[in-house]
Amino acid sequence: MAKSETGQYVQHPAWCWVGERGLRVATGESTLEYRNKLISQNLSEVDDVIPADGSLLVFLRRGMAPSPALWDVLAGEEVEPSPAAGRLHTVHVEYGGAAGPDLAALASRAGMDASDYIACHAAAEYTVAFLGFQPGFPYLRGLPEALQAPRKAAPRTRVAAGSVALGGAYSGIYPAAGPGGWQIIGRAQICLFDQLRNPPNLLLPGDRLRFVPE
Amino acid sequence: MIEVLQAGLCDLVMGAGRPGWAASGVPAGGAADPAALAAANLLVGNTVEAAGLEMTLAGPSLRFPEGAIVALTGAHFSAVRSCGAVVAWNETLVLAPGETLTIGRAESGCRCWLALQGGLDVPLVMDSPSTFLPAAFGGYAGRPLCAGDRLGMGAQTGEIQLLRGTPPVKRAGLDRLFRVIAGPQAGLFDDAGLATFFGSEFRVAAETDRRGLRLSGAAVRYAGRSLPSQGVLPGAIQVPPNGQPIILGWDGPVTGGYPVIAGVISADWPRLAQLKPGDILRFETIEVERARACALAEWSIEALV
Repeated sequence: MAKSETGQYVQHPAWCWVGERGLRVATGESTLEYRNKLISQNLSEVDDVIPADGSLLVFLRRGMAPSPALWDVLAGEEVEPSPAAGRLHTVHVEYGGAAGPDLAALASRAGMDASDYIACHAAAEYTVAFLGFQPGFPYLRGLPEALQAPRKAAPRTRVAAGSVALGGAYSGIYPAAGPGGWQIIGRAQICLFDQLRNPPNLLLPGDRLRFVPE
Repeated sequence: MIEVLQAGLCDLVMGAGRPGWAASGVPAGGAADPAALAAANLLVGNTVEAAGLEMTLAGPSLRFPEGAIVALTGAHFSAVRSCGAVVAWNETLVLAPGETLTIGRAESGCRCWLALQGGLDVPLVMDSPSTFLPAAFGGYAGRPLCAGDRLGMGAQTGEIQLLRGTPPVKRAGLDRLFRVIAGPQAGLFDDAGLATFFGSEFRVAAETDRRGLRLSGAAVRYAGRSLPSQGVLPGAIQVPPNGQPIILGWDGPVTGGYPVIAGVISADWPRLAQLKPGDILRFETIEVERARACALAEWSIEALV
């Protein structure tokens, strides 16, 4: 049990510092719920709340300490993960071939033929856990375990925009062309991020997603 | 209006950052030393968040057909005015119509900032005028300035008040020393790894930009394993499997999967902005409360008599 600066005992979730302006909180499956709860408090010391894989980073304003209200959210009743409530998006994908250069090797690694591998990837419903890496890059939870594969040992120097990829337990889509280390299995015609759009990113944490083979 | 006669190494339009967009994968960004740009803005009569220029290692040659009221802050660069007058730092400068300001190489440090009365007139992208190079948006066409560019300026009051700025007092003896809060993954490193990190000097490597400062030195070892991605912020020190730490910068990723051994305190972020390849640094821990107090140091602005 950790003691907060206000002297309260904070049992759950566990937290630690990233510099003096970052408070990293282990939020597990309830990451988005904790984020929503923190944002809804409109706390004056909070600059931003960054969701990630099982944790949140609360970015504090310069010189400001976490308020008792912030500790209350962290120390309060454990936040239960809520059922998927985000918007559902359908994404058409050209799997394999030049659009998905790693598909064949991944399928044989998984002991499947390519069409079963594609069917398995497209049968799952994914949830946007968080965005990161590039503006608008979604980390999609829900990748069937049979398809999971480590990142490539040597990252590619160029991955095409719209590339549908997987890395570890996540599937993802590259919003823009650039270097990338994930396994590429297909390509979607989709604009995930446009800085002139409001909001710029198509997908928000909590949104759901289904892939449809073309 | 400003005409770019010759571009510097990386002249970027910078103003306020974009806090609040991290969940979209976009870091706050903005000037690498926001207080220095804010001070320059105050010296020309702007609000603190007006858009100016951030220059790195070597600056541009700029012509001001209608003249301008400007100020420079940050690292000292060699600089000349076409009228022959001395280019002082941290002071209001009045440029006559047709004057050229040529900013040369950094004499010490790495970055300086130029503010202009009225601010640079660039479209706001996601509520900010700042350039975000990794995704090529914001600022002037999402890129560093090029020769031939013409930048508009916002409305000028024309009011001239000659001011001088004084940066916050630097604590003596910091020099190469950067203060950090240990963690969150310091526990992944064994005693030898921690001793290497806190006991060695590191050199800033050539592959260093606003996304991150790569360091080279004795390898900081840990039991290599991949971690779930976590939120990160400027100053977070990631250690990839090769043991060569990376200090994340202002345009760095918002999440990362490498262990973070420590985070540079925000009071030392402006000093990170002045590190250039070849510079030497080392790390020392400090308590969170002290770090927070250090973060409140302010520039002072007074009339130039």
